[in-house]
Amino acid sequence: MLDKTIAQEVLDAALSTGGDFAEIFVEDRRNNLLMMRSGRVETVSSGRLHGAGIRVFVGLNAIYTYTNDTHREGLLRCALQAAGAVREHKAGKASASMTEHRLQNIHPIALSPSATEARRKVEVLRMANAAARAAGAEIIQVACSYRDSEQDVLICNSDGLYVTDRRVYTRLACEAIAGNGTENQSGFEGPGAMMGFELFDSRVDPEKTGRRAGDMAVTMLKAPVCPAGTMPVVIDSGFGGVIFHEACGHSLEATAVAFGMSEFCGKLGQQIAAPCVTAIDDGTLANEWGSENIDDEGRPTTRLVLIENGILKNYMIDTLNAKRMNMAPTGSGRRESYAYAPTSRMRNTYIAAGTYDEAEMIATMGDGLYAKTMGGGSVNPATGEFNFGVNEGYLVKGGKIVSPVRGASLIGKGAEILLQIDRVGRDTRMAQGMCGSISGSVPTNVGQPMIRVKSMTVGGRA
Amino acid sequence: MNDFLKKLFEEADKAGLTAAEAYVVEEESFDAMVMEGEITKYSSNATRGLGFRAMVDGKMGYASTEAFDEEAVGQLVKGALDSARLCEDTDEQFLYDGKGKVPGIDLYNPALAQVGPEEKLDFVLGLERAAKAYDPRIQKVGDTTVFTGKQTVRIINTYGVDQSYTQNYCGAFLESIAQEGESIAAGDELVLRRGFDQLNAQELAAAASQMAVDRLHARPLPSGQYRVILENLVMTELLGVFSTAFSAESAQQGMSLLKGKLGEVIAADCVTLVDDPLLPGGLASRPFDGEGVPSARHTLIDRGLFTTFLHNLKTARKDGVQTTGNASKTGYAAPVKISPSNFFFEPGSKTLPELMKDVGSGVLITDVTGLHAGANAVSGDFSLLSKGFLIENGEKVRPLEQITVAGNFFTMLKNIRAMGSDLRFPRGGMGSPSVDVGELSIAGQ
Repeated sequence: MLDKTIAQEVLDAALSTGGDFAEIFVEDRRNNLLMMRSGRVETVSSGRLHGAGIRVFVGLNAIYTYTNDTHREGLLRCALQAAGAVREHKAGKASASMTEHRLQNIHPIALSPSATEARRKVEVLRMANAAARAAGAEIIQVACSYRDSEQDVLICNSDGLYVTDRRVYTRLACEAIAGNGTENQSGFEGPGAMMGFELFDSRVDPEKTGRRAGDMAVTMLKAPVCPAGTMPVVIDSGFGGVIFHEACGHSLEATAVAFGMSEFCGKLGQQIAAPCVTAIDDGTLANEWGSENIDDEGRPTTRLVLIENGILKNYMIDTLNAKRMNMAPTGSGRRESYAYAPTSRMRNTYIAAGTYDEAEMIATMGDGLYAKTMGGGSVNPATGEFNFGVNEGYLVKGGKIVSPVRGASLIGKGAEILLQIDRVGRDTRMAQGMCGSISGSVPTNVGQPMIRVKSMTVGGRA
Repeated sequence: MNDFLKKLFEEADKAGLTAAEAYVVEEESFDAMVMEGEITKYSSNATRGLGFRAMVDGKMGYASTEAFDEEAVGQLVKGALDSARLCEDTDEQFLYDGKGKVPGIDLYNPALAQVGPEEKLDFVLGLERAAKAYDPRIQKVGDTTVFTGKQTVRIINTYGVDQSYTQNYCGAFLESIAQEGESIAAGDELVLRRGFDQLNAQELAAAASQMAVDRLHARPLPSGQYRVILENLVMTELLGVFSTAFSAESAQQGMSLLKGKLGEVIAADCVTLVDDPLLPGGLASRPFDGEGVPSARHTLIDRGLFTTFLHNLKTARKDGVQTTGNASKTGYAAPVKISPSNFFFEPGSKTLPELMKDVGSGVLITDVTGLHAGANAVSGDFSLLSKGFLIENGEKVRPLEQITVAGNFFTMLKNIRAMGSDLRFPRGGMGSPSVDVGELSIAGQ
C-alpha cells in the first residue's frame, strides 16, 4: 500500500519542524451494504474508502491531518501541513529505519465477502425477513440489512514500525415493527463477527435473528408500560453487558482517566465493584466483533483484566495517553477510519462468568424488573451518570415473571451500580454493537452472564 | 475532477446505464481541542468523495468512491450495474430533470475563510481559561473544542443538471465540571455559527460554567406525575428524534404513526411546525436538496392541523403530490432518503419565566441524555435520563438529577398548553422554543 522509502520520506517531512514522533495510517476499505424492506431488496451499494492520516506528537500535543490522496505528493503535502502546525519550530530529527513486522493472523477468514456472490447475501436477508414476519400477524414492517467490510491497513511510524493487517467484518441486522393501528413497537437483533461469509455457516442463523426481532416487537406491542421507581433489576446475558460498557468501561478509558475526567481516577488497586465482579477487555478472542490482530497504532492486541474480584486492575491506554499517565500502552488505540486520530477504546468487554444460578436470581429478587434485552445507552465519565433503554423487559412480582413491560430505562451512577451487583451468573454471552467516541464509531462486543443489581432507578410511566 | 466525471459518464453510457448522476462532496475541516492549556487534538484536512447513481431497466444502482483513478471509473460503473440488477424496489425511480429554478442564497462567509489556525487556537485556549475562571467551584474544563468547515456539494446528471453550492461554518464546544463538597456536576455548551465573529468565548464559557454550578447538589424527587416545561434545547432534541415520523418514506413503509393522519388535528392549536431550507442564517439552509430539487418553505403542522409529510421525488410520485424538496443524503455515499432542513416550532408569546408562573408548581427539564436508547421514533415512546429544576410558586427552587422523564411524543403534542417565545436553534437546523407540555411522568426516588 505504501513503499517503505516513500513512507520514510513522509515521516521525515512530518518531523521536520521538531516533532518527537510521527505515524502514517493508510487505509483502503471496501464496503458492501444490502437492505431489504417490505420483503424486497431496496438498496444495494458498494463503496471504497481510501485515505491516510498522519499524526505528529510534540511533547503531549498531538497534530492530525488526513487526505484521500495517498500518492507521494499527497502524503508529503499532508505531512508538511502537520509539521507546519507545530507551534514552536525546532530542528527536525530523522525517523528510524523501518523493518516490516509480519503478523500472525489470529482471526482467520474462510470466505472473503468480496469473493462471495451478492445473491447469497440476498438469501440471508430473505431468511431473516421471512422469519421476522412469521412472528405474528401484528408484524407490519421488517427492515433487514447485511453489511460487510474488508479493511486493509498499513501503519508505520518514526520508531521504525511498519505493519499491515486486514480486518474483515460481516453483520446482519433485523428490525421488526409490530403495530395495531394506534401503536407501534419495534424489536431488533444484529449479530456480527470479525468473519467473512462463513459467519452464516457457523455462528449466525439468519432465521433465528429474524424470529428474535419479530418476537420482541410482538411481545412489546402487547406489553403495558413499565412502572417507575427504585427496585431490584436482573439484567440478562449478552447485550445486557452494555450496562458495564456504559457504567464503567468508558470511565476506564485513558481518554477520560488521563485528564482526571473519570470517577475511577487514582483508584487502581482499590475495591470499585462488588467482589463477585471480574471484568475483562479482550482483543484476542478469535474472530469476535471487537477483536484485532493489532490496534490502530500497530501494537499487538491484548487481553486486559480491568477488574478482578471487585479490585480495579487496569485502565485501557493508548500511546499518547500512556505518556500523559506515565504508564504503558495496552494495545487499546482504535479509530473508525483514517479520518480519526486513534485513542483508547474498548474491544470485547465483558463481565466474566460467576457462580450463581440464573433461575435463583429471579426467584429470590422479590418485586423488580427483569431486563431481558437492553437497548443502547450513554455515560458522562466525569460524573459517572449513565442511562440506557430496555428494549424487552418483564415485571417480576414475588420472584415470578408476571408480564412484559415496555418503555423502561435504567439510570444510575457507575461507581454506585458496580457495588450494588449481588449476583453474577455462570454463562457469559457476547453481543455486538457500534461504540461511538472521539475517535469515531468502532465495532465492540459487550458481554456478561445474567447479573442482578440490588437497587436501580427504573424510568417508566405507570 | 471534470475529466474524471466526463470519463465516468462515457463509460456509464457504454455500459447501458441510461440515466446517471454524480454527487460530489468536497470538504475542508479544522478542529482543535485543548485540555489544561495543552493542545490535545489538532486536525486539518481536505477530502472528497463521489456518490454515483445510475438507472438500468427502471432500477437504481448505487456505488461510491474516495479514489479517483482509472480503476475507480470501472468500479463505479460495475458497482452501480450490479446494484441495479439486484434491486427489487418496485417504486418508480427518478433523477431530477433540472426544470425548477434554484433560489440564490448565500451560505459562504469569506471572512470566516480568512481566520487562520493561530487565531482559532488562541480562541479555544481563551475559552478554556474563561470557563475555569468563571467560578471558583469550576474544577475542570473538558473537551474544549473549536472547529471550522467548508463544504461544496455538486450534482451533475445526464439530464443536463450541473449545480453546486459552497457553505462554511464554525463552532465550539466545552464542558465545565463544578465541584463543591461531595457534589460534582457538569455543564456543557455547543454552538454552531456562520461567522467566527459570532463565537463569543466569554458567553460560551459563562453558559457552560453557570450550568455546572447551577446543577451542584442536585438530587432526585419522588416518582410521580408532574406538570412539566421542556426547555428549548430539550424540545429541540426530542423534535430531532421524532422528525422521522414526518418523512413520507417512513409513512409509506408503515413506520410512522402519522400515516393516514393528513388533514387531521395531531397537536394542540398553539403548535405550528415549519421546515424552511431558505431561513436566513439557518445552519441547515441550502439552495437545493439531495436530488437537486430547488428548496422551498413548508408548514407541516398548521395550528395543530397536519398538512404535509416531507417528500422526495420518489415518495411524492407515489402519493401523487409535488416533492417538498426534502431529499437528503447523510454523506456522498449514502442513498437518497428524506430529512428536514431548518425544522422548528413557531414561537408563542410567553417568556420562560412567564411559562413557569403559569405552571406554578412542577418541573423544568433542561437536559435529556441517551436519546438513541431511550426514545423510540417508531412508537413515539420516550423515557430519558434528565436534569432540571423543581418549580414552586412559579420559580426555580432546586436542581434535579437522576430522574427520568417519560411520555409519548405524539400524545404530548396534543397536550401542549403553550409555546414559549424563546425559539432557539441550539445544535444546527432543529429549533424550538421552551414548551409547557402539560403532565408527564417522572421517575426519581
